[in-house]
Amino acid sequence: MTGVEEARGELVAALGEENVLSDPLALRLYARDASMVEGGCALVALPRNLNEVTACVRIAADRGLPVVPRGAGTGLAGGATPIGDALVVVTSKMTKILEVRPEDRLAWVEPGVANLDLANHLRPYGFTFAPDPSSQQTSSIGGNVNTNAGGPHCLAYGVTANHVLALDVVMPDGTVERLGSEGPEAPGYDLRGVVVGSEGTLGVVAAVCVRLTPIAPEVRTMLMDFETIEDCAHTVSDIIASGVVPAAVEMMDRGIVVAAENFAHAGYPTDAAAILIVEVDGLPAAVEEQGRAVEEAGRRNNVRTIRVAADEDERALIWKGRKNAFGAVAQIAPHYHLHDCVVPRTKLVQVLAGVYEIARRHDLVVTNVFHAGDGNLHPLFSFDRRVPGTLARVLEAADEVVRLCVDAGGILSGEHGIGLEKRDFMPLVFTADDLAAQACVRGAFDPERRMNPQKVLPDGARCGDFAMARGTSMEESLEQMPDGAWI
Amino acid sequence: MTIEVLHPYEKGEVVQLLRAASRDGRRILAVGGRQHMDRGETCEMDAELWTRQLDGLVSYEPAEMVAVVGAGMRVGELQRILAGGGQEWPVDAPAEATVGGVIAAGASSPRRMRVGTVRDTVLEVELATGDGRLVKGGARTVKQSTGYSLPRLATGSLGTLGVIVQAALKVRPLPKSHRTLIAQGDGLSLSGRMLDVVPLPAAVLATPSAAEVRLEGWTGEVEEQTEIARSVAPDLEVEDDVPFPSIAPWDAMPIVTEAAVPPSRLPSLVAASGDAWGALLGVGVAWIGLPEEGDALEVLRRKASELGGIAPVIRGEGGLGYPVPAPEVHRRLKQAFDPAGILAPGRLGSGS
Repeated sequence: MTGVEEARGELVAALGEENVLSDPLALRLYARDASMVEGGCALVALPRNLNEVTACVRIAADRGLPVVPRGAGTGLAGGATPIGDALVVVTSKMTKILEVRPEDRLAWVEPGVANLDLANHLRPYGFTFAPDPSSQQTSSIGGNVNTNAGGPHCLAYGVTANHVLALDVVMPDGTVERLGSEGPEAPGYDLRGVVVGSEGTLGVVAAVCVRLTPIAPEVRTMLMDFETIEDCAHTVSDIIASGVVPAAVEMMDRGIVVAAENFAHAGYPTDAAAILIVEVDGLPAAVEEQGRAVEEAGRRNNVRTIRVAADEDERALIWKGRKNAFGAVAQIAPHYHLHDCVVPRTKLVQVLAGVYEIARRHDLVVTNVFHAGDGNLHPLFSFDRRVPGTLARVLEAADEVVRLCVDAGGILSGEHGIGLEKRDFMPLVFTADDLAAQACVRGAFDPERRMNPQKVLPDGARCGDFAMARGTSMEESLEQMPDGAWI
Repeated sequence: MTIEVLHPYEKGEVVQLLRAASRDGRRILAVGGRQHMDRGETCEMDAELWTRQLDGLVSYEPAEMVAVVGAGMRVGELQRILAGGGQEWPVDAPAEATVGGVIAAGASSPRRMRVGTVRDTVLEVELATGDGRLVKGGARTVKQSTGYSLPRLATGSLGTLGVIVQAALKVRPLPKSHRTLIAQGDGLSLSGRMLDVVPLPAAVLATPSAAEVRLEGWTGEVEEQTEIARSVAPDLEVEDDVPFPSIAPWDAMPIVTEAAVPPSRLPSLVAASGDAWGALLGVGVAWIGLPEEGDALEVLRRKASELGGIAPVIRGEGGLGYPVPAPEVHRRLKQAFDPAGILAPGRLGSGS
């Protein structure tokens, strides 16, 4: 074994006893994120500032321990699930908003700041941080950066990568680099852009400079309901085809509408086959024009009713059901498994039909709540893993869903990341040369592959080594989890 | 020494040419529409590789808001195709520029406050690496969290990691209306007030003697904002459907830099920079025209650096003039993508 005990002593000296955990319960708690994959770790550190993060990474480097950066642990792909004798570096004590500079349209924040706390903090300045993942009450900015998080409003405003100006990154050797710039352009390759979405495999993000987005002067939130899934999905492509890019276009099918309504009492029509939440924003004239185009697209596709939120309270209520949908599915069954594929918007009808067919064939309950405007699906299988054989069926079905999406021209993940769960699907969308190039990017930052090892790229993806493992099925790949991780 | 010209007709040929060049140690500069040739440090080369024949339209579906094109397609041709679908690629490069050239140069639109940067629009790239591998990164979907982002790595890399042969671009609806408002007077002070009151401009440009506000979008919102702008300058000149910017005093100078600083520091930057400049308020970009003689560039760079920014030259001589962060990472990336070091060696600074 490596120097876990020595590392523990050094960490305690650097961070204090209360910020280093190694008791069995703590190690168990930090052995997984919100995905289904469980691993294990040797030590957990809770640094309180950049210097302490640096100390953690240096000590791990000296003692040869892998480092697994972790934010709020809401990740759904196993990106923060540690393996083996890893040191988990948790940013949950780094929750300071360091400075807000509206005159420069930027703010510096520590990585543990919750997404919604940042948005609330910026509101009095007339600005917001545009990415708003459904997990925004708990998920952290550092986690958002590492997954290139999206959320409903990235349809018009773009993903996290578009809203990060600079990062202070603790590199694998413990040095600190500022990547990107407070100004609009930075020297050299866009390493800031590469770290965004890198799932903690390139370094530990210790401070984030975010771009501030002005809050739109006016917002209109519409709830539309349909008698068929097809009408609902066609409305989405008709809206886009009409030259309107709403701030958000979210779709929920009946199963999820019923569950969310029970929880949120948002007045969702529970007898509809599917609903759309469409939000348009901007200046009053733009809101009027876009609102009209959205309503017309709905009417062309037999919309039943269109409810326009009368005030901020009603708007919040409509969103409450949507944003808490993943919690609400606990009413259906105790466990859920979901994928995060993105497909071309024009293929939504076809892919959704395929998803329902897969669920029917495997005798599973599937519900869909997703970012329809982006084509970003979240088919969610609800199940009880204590029932023998159920998990295997869920994994088989999930495997088929991924292949269905890829065949339709889609990609594995829109905003959750690849982590451990989806890494063995990577050869479905990338060639051996493509993956080798990605491995080179990784290796340029972390030649020893000590930062969050075994994530994102499948085994065999090496810089300069084009002999690749072939793609395996979801079930096989989960059975073939790296030693020390299981489902 | 004569510079050889290579003009491949398809991407397989690019791969072959680069393999041979790597083997023979011949240094290659990838060239599109020759619009960004002055960007980057001076680099020695033995041959130019022209991408202009790689100009095919691979796919374009307006309802997807994604266009996939060969890197050699001219921007003018692309915009003509997209206009057929009521859309645009939001860069304002010259019509003769190529898609690959704009991406490699990272040349963003002056309307970036509203339309974003060029890197925000590059969804997928296909690169021929220096050692002749064809690698694709990203995806043809508008959002993606699937592996490391080669599109962001390639954008602005000035042809030092690979030759961009194809790209998938995020496009957007053409605005229904474009309008430029010009207010004569103290450009910085007028522009500052415009930025404070006009809610969603595409650009607010300060020049020494005028403020120029670019509006675009639905006709009604352009009207609303015009009225708001009149509260700052009652005698506005209003021009519809004219190119932006309409005045470019920096253009007359032999050297043009595209400085980038945190937005509030623009006034300090341009204050000591002569009278051939334009500054994009709220963005932090300033084009500053300089004479060739004297130490004006050096002085400007020192100032930009004090203000937390950079001042690379985009036309004329002078190069980038800054060190890169994480030089070891730069060096390893170059080594991995271009092991023989044949692609525009040093153009993005030492290590590239």
